[in-house]
Amino acid sequence: MNNVSSTQPPTSDAMRLEDESPPRTGSSRLGPQLTRLLLSNEFGLLALIILFSVIFALATPGFTSSFSLFAMGRTAAVNIIIGFSMMVVIVSGGLNLSVGSIGVCVAMAGGWLMQVAGVPWYLGVVGALVLGAMIGALNGIMIVKTGLHSFIITLATMSIFFGVMIFLTQAGSFRELPPEYVQFGRMKINGVVSPLLIVTLLIGVVLSVFFRLTTSGRRLLAAGANPDAAELSGIRVDRTIILCHALSGVLAGIAGLMLVSRTGAAIPSMAGQLGQDWLLPAFLGPVLGGTLLTGGRASVLGTLLGAFLVTLLTTGLLLLQVGAFWVQTCLGLLLLAAVLIDLSRRTYLARHNLI
Amino acid sequence: MKRQLNRYLQSDWFGPLLITIAAIALVSWFNPSFLSPFNIQILLLAIAVNAIIAYSQMVIIAIGQMNLSVGAIGGLVAISFSGFMEVWSIPWPVAAFMALSVGLTAGYINGLFVAMTGISAFIITLATLSIYKGLNLGITEATPFYKIPETVKALGNSNFIEPLPWLVLPTIIVTFCLWYLLNRLPVGRFILAVGGNEHAAELSGISVRKTIITAHAISGFLAGLAGIMLVARLQIGQPTIGDDWLILSFAAPVIGGAVLTGGHISVAGTLLGVVIVAIITQVLVLFNVDPFLVQVVLGLLILWAVGLNKLREVRAARSMDELGAGA
Repeated sequence: MNNVSSTQPPTSDAMRLEDESPPRTGSSRLGPQLTRLLLSNEFGLLALIILFSVIFALATPGFTSSFSLFAMGRTAAVNIIIGFSMMVVIVSGGLNLSVGSIGVCVAMAGGWLMQVAGVPWYLGVVGALVLGAMIGALNGIMIVKTGLHSFIITLATMSIFFGVMIFLTQAGSFRELPPEYVQFGRMKINGVVSPLLIVTLLIGVVLSVFFRLTTSGRRLLAAGANPDAAELSGIRVDRTIILCHALSGVLAGIAGLMLVSRTGAAIPSMAGQLGQDWLLPAFLGPVLGGTLLTGGRASVLGTLLGAFLVTLLTTGLLLLQVGAFWVQTCLGLLLLAAVLIDLSRRTYLARHNLI
Repeated sequence: MKRQLNRYLQSDWFGPLLITIAAIALVSWFNPSFLSPFNIQILLLAIAVNAIIAYSQMVIIAIGQMNLSVGAIGGLVAISFSGFMEVWSIPWPVAAFMALSVGLTAGYINGLFVAMTGISAFIITLATLSIYKGLNLGITEATPFYKIPETVKALGNSNFIEPLPWLVLPTIIVTFCLWYLLNRLPVGRFILAVGGNEHAAELSGISVRKTIITAHAISGFLAGLAGIMLVARLQIGQPTIGDDWLILSFAAPVIGGAVLTGGHISVAGTLLGVVIVAIITQVLVLFNVDPFLVQVVLGLLILWAVGLNKLREVRAARSMDELGAGA
């Protein structure tokens, strides 16, 4: 049942904790392997990204300009981190509605530390992220202690965190931030690549290593796949859940701080009412990327590609002058289409015994 | 006698009722203007709309799901209602009927996707939330409809008997209908049965799919009704209507003893939950507490209520165990 400690390499790119399907007679042939690869989430996403890139490049002249690519990479950097922040909680079989709220709280704390307390920017970032970890851990502790579903706990804390933040800041923003910090979000490497994107990719690598190679990561996957079995095999599921919520808090905080560095100001309304504007991007990335909502499976690459696809579509549609308001409808339709395609893909794979 | 008392103590609405009475007594002792006709009218206006919002979520909680798109449906119906009247000059009763059909359809679509695909309602309604909100903003381009007929404005802001506003009427009717539906009609019993144990409900011959779709359609209809009532109250077809409904829609049913896993809700409890939230919000204003803290209080209320419900559940399970041991 448990292959937590087994050292066999994962078969597909996704990290999963499920029984390997019994070896089938045809599995040595190329056919099923290829079908499985072609039907994997990551491959599908990559194909869609290439397809839409070509369409947008042909349809709009500005799409391939270096500024547009730079802006897209920078937006993608933030969206991917928001997706990661939700992914690490979904892995545990829960969800975290307060990502947006935590993100804004951390961003405001960072702004306060840098502007009012006069702390150097790197200490400000560290301090704000520690706050993010603490807020996230608080979510986790409440979920573990009460035994209630993370949905209702984080729904309540989303309101509480945002309320406390807006009370403390009196809805004011911090606009006089250290220039080197603001510069970081505006810098261009080779005229195209934003340093924020590089930070995001590094975090992606770290998360990959975390889920594949570290004990804590494997424990988190095990706890998400089957909490009872994990508990019986000696994993402290409680601690694992608190850990993943703390991690989610840190990641949400990173996304918030990235936005601050990009806009050059910490603004309380940057994630909408109660941080609700982050909810859709937070779920789009992981769900498109094939992270199971029931837990136990995470795909860092999938989430990254999913969030990138979302950013690509948003940018492309805006350049096609679809109108910012209709883009939201399109993203909703995309999420709906994604879960439906995923469902039929799973049914197909199960019917042909490929999973 | 003692058993009767025990039954009251264990019912969902008893605790919230005590709190409501105590709160009213305490607040009016500190601040007599709390019970002035004007203040009562303001309270009732808030309660009337918020109760419908809470019912809209409550019906979905009853089947053990959640509906994140309550606010988006409310907003879409609100702008449809005012748009029909302003752009197409449709008389208001017809416009209201058409707008309510929009809400019903939106809810029906939610239910159809949830029931047919088996994907969690959370994801489906998150997707439709953004679709409906996008439609709303795409149509209005974020500008409100201003030309609301005088009759509608009057209905939203006048009383039919002092100090009862007209808007209380639909709420009273809906409250009664929902109570009758959930306690007396087969559909309502099916909804609760599906929420309690979907598998058992299916085995006993209930069509789970139909029940889920019905519940979502009712939810959409109620969200739409709340949207229309808000248009009448605000005298303007605001596209932002519904943006802040999410927390409230969960708070009131949970305070009223609803179990989030489904199968157990209370119409009276939910109504009292709305009353408690309204009183607390007013008290914060009366005592000059920072309005920003209302969000914090709402969040804490949810935590407190779900904690309490959990405690009751554990206690009930324990007493069941004792009964089992005795037998």
